[in-house]
Amino acid sequence: MTIVAICFFVLLLVGVPIGYVLGIAGVIGLFQIGGDNFFVMAPKRFFDGLNLFTFMAMPFFILAGEIMNKAGMTMRLAAFADSLVGYMRGGLAHSNMLASVLFAGMTGAAVSDAAAFGNTLVPAMVKQGYSRPFACAVTAAGSIIGPTIPPSNLMVIYGSLAGVSIAGLFAAGILPGILICLSCMALITALGRRLGLPKAEGGPSLKEIIRTFKSSISAILMPGIILGGILGGIVTPTEAAAIAVAYALFVGFFLERTIGVKDVFEMLIRTGRITGVVFLIIASASILSWWMTFMQIPQMLATFFLSLSSDPLIIKGLILCFLIAIGMFMDINAALIILTPMLGTLTTAIGMHPVHAGVMIILTLNISLMTPPVGACIFVLSSVTGERIEKISASLWPFIIVEIAVLVLITYCTDLAMFFPKLLLDL
Amino acid sequence: MRDIPTTTKNTKIDIMNEINEQTTNSFANIVENAGFWVNYLTERVCGLLVAAMIGVVWFGIIDRYFLALGGTWTEELARYIMIWAALLAVPCCSYRREHIGLDLVFKKIPKKYQVKSRVFLDLLGMAFFVFLFYYGIMMTQAGATQYATIFSMNMTIPYLSVPVASGLTIFQIFVCIVREISKTSPLFVIRERTV
Repeated sequence: MTIVAICFFVLLLVGVPIGYVLGIAGVIGLFQIGGDNFFVMAPKRFFDGLNLFTFMAMPFFILAGEIMNKAGMTMRLAAFADSLVGYMRGGLAHSNMLASVLFAGMTGAAVSDAAAFGNTLVPAMVKQGYSRPFACAVTAAGSIIGPTIPPSNLMVIYGSLAGVSIAGLFAAGILPGILICLSCMALITALGRRLGLPKAEGGPSLKEIIRTFKSSISAILMPGIILGGILGGIVTPTEAAAIAVAYALFVGFFLERTIGVKDVFEMLIRTGRITGVVFLIIASASILSWWMTFMQIPQMLATFFLSLSSDPLIIKGLILCFLIAIGMFMDINAALIILTPMLGTLTTAIGMHPVHAGVMIILTLNISLMTPPVGACIFVLSSVTGERIEKISASLWPFIIVEIAVLVLITYCTDLAMFFPKLLLDL
Repeated sequence: MRDIPTTTKNTKIDIMNEINEQTTNSFANIVENAGFWVNYLTERVCGLLVAAMIGVVWFGIIDRYFLALGGTWTEELARYIMIWAALLAVPCCSYRREHIGLDLVFKKIPKKYQVKSRVFLDLLGMAFFVFLFYYGIMMTQAGATQYATIFSMNMTIPYLSVPVASGLTIFQIFVCIVREISKTSPLFVIRERTV
C-alpha cells in the first residue's frame, strides 16, 4: 500500500498527467496484490469505469454550454445581470457574481465559467478601474457556482458512483449556489468603500432590465427546461442533457442565427476533447479504485475517522478538512472517484442523508477549485488574463472564507441543505 | 497545465514559411506531420461519434414518447459510442498536451534538464498505455465470446476501443517526445493560427 501511495504522490508532483498517474498507481497496486494475475483487470476496469449511461450527461452539458456561449448568450446574461445590480458600488463585481448564477444553468463545470468571464468580464472590470487580481478573484469565487447549481458534472459522477439520486443532488445544489452568490455580493459591498470600487452614475433602469431580460430569455429558460424535465420525472438526467443540446442548437440556429454547421462540428470536436481529459481520469481512477476496494482501504479509512470520534458533528468537520486538503493538491474528478466509496461508508455510518452528504462533498471539492497551490479555476484565470497566480490568491482569501462559511452552514443545517430536495422531490 | 509552445511570428507569409519548414523531410518533421494527420482524422471521427451519441439518445426519447417502437437498445448503443468517442479523444489530448498535470515542481527544474525530464515523464505515460494496449488486446479477444446485455452485440467492438485508443496514444506520445527532443513547433498550433 505504501509503495502505491509513494508512486502516486511522486508521479503527481513531478508532473505526470493525473490520468496517467492514476492508471500507473493502479497497475502497481494490481501487481502488488497478485503479480501479473490481476493485470487483466486493468483494461476491464478502465472500460467498465466509463460504462455508465448517466456519464453521458457530462459531454451533453459541455456541448450545450459551448453552443449557448457561441450563440452569444454569455454576454447577454452578463448584460442582464449588470442591468439588475450594476448601479451599486462595485457594480461590475456584483454583476460578475450574479452572471455566474445565471451562467450556471448553462454549464456544469467551473472552469468554463472562469474561462468565459476571464475573457470578457475581467478586462471590462479592469477598464472600469478594478485591480486585475481583484477582478480575477471575483471571477474565481463566482465560477464555483457553476458546478454547484444544476447542471453539474460532479453531481453526475457522484450520483452515478454512489447510487444517489442525481435529481436529488441537482435540487440540493440550488440553495448553496444562491447562498454563495449572496454572501460574496455582501462581501463585495463590505469591501466596496475600503477598496474604492467604482460606482456607476444613476440608478437601475426598468427599461434596461426589460430589454436585457428579453434578449437573454432563451438562456434563462435553459436550466428550467433541464430541471423541469428531471424533477418532473419526464426524462432522466442524461436525456435532459440531450434535450438541452437540442434546445441550444435551436437557439443558435433559428433564434440567434449566430452559428453554422461548421461551428457545430468544431464544438463537437472540442466537446470530445474536453470529455477525453475527464474520462481518462475517470477510467484510470477506476483501476486504482478497484485496487483500493480489494484492499478494503475505504473501510479502513472510515474506521480510522470513526476511531477519532463518534460525534457526527466532529466527523463532518474532519471530512471537510480532509476534502479541502485533498482538493488543494488533486484534481477534483479523480478525488471524487477515489474517495466516493470511503465517503459513502463514513457518511452513512454517521447517519447523513445520501443527498445531503453528496452536496456537502461536492461543495467542498468545488471550493478547493480555487484554493492554491492547485486550483484549476485560478490556473485558468491566470492563463486567460495573464495575472500571476500569487496575486489572484492574495485577493481571493476573503471569498474563500465566506464560501467556507456557506459550506459549514450547509453541512451542519440539514433542514437547510435538504430544503429543495424535500420541496421538489419529497426526499 | 502546461504552456503549448508557440512562436512569435504573426504574418500569413511567416506562417506559410513556417509550414513549409515543417514539411521538409527531416525525421522530426515527418513524425510531426504524421502526428498531425493522425490527430486530424481521430478528432473528426471523435466529433462524428459525439454527434452519433446525441442522435441515438434523441431517438430514444422520441421513441419512448412518440414512436413506441420499444427500442431499449438505444441506451446501450449510446454508452458504447460514448466510450469510443471519449477514448479516441485521449490520444488527441496527448498530441496537444491537454491532459491535466501539475507543473509546480517541473517548473523548478533547471531549464537544461527540462527536456530530459519531460521525455522521461512521457516514457512513463507511454509505458502505461503499452500495458493497456497489450492487456486490452487480450480483453478484446475474450470479448468475442461475450455479448451485450440488451441488443446481443458481440463485445469485441466495444472492448476494441481500449487497445485502439491506447495504440494511438502511444504513437502521439512518441510524436510529443520527438517534438520535445528536436524542438519542433507543434504543427497544429501553426495550422490553426492560419484559420
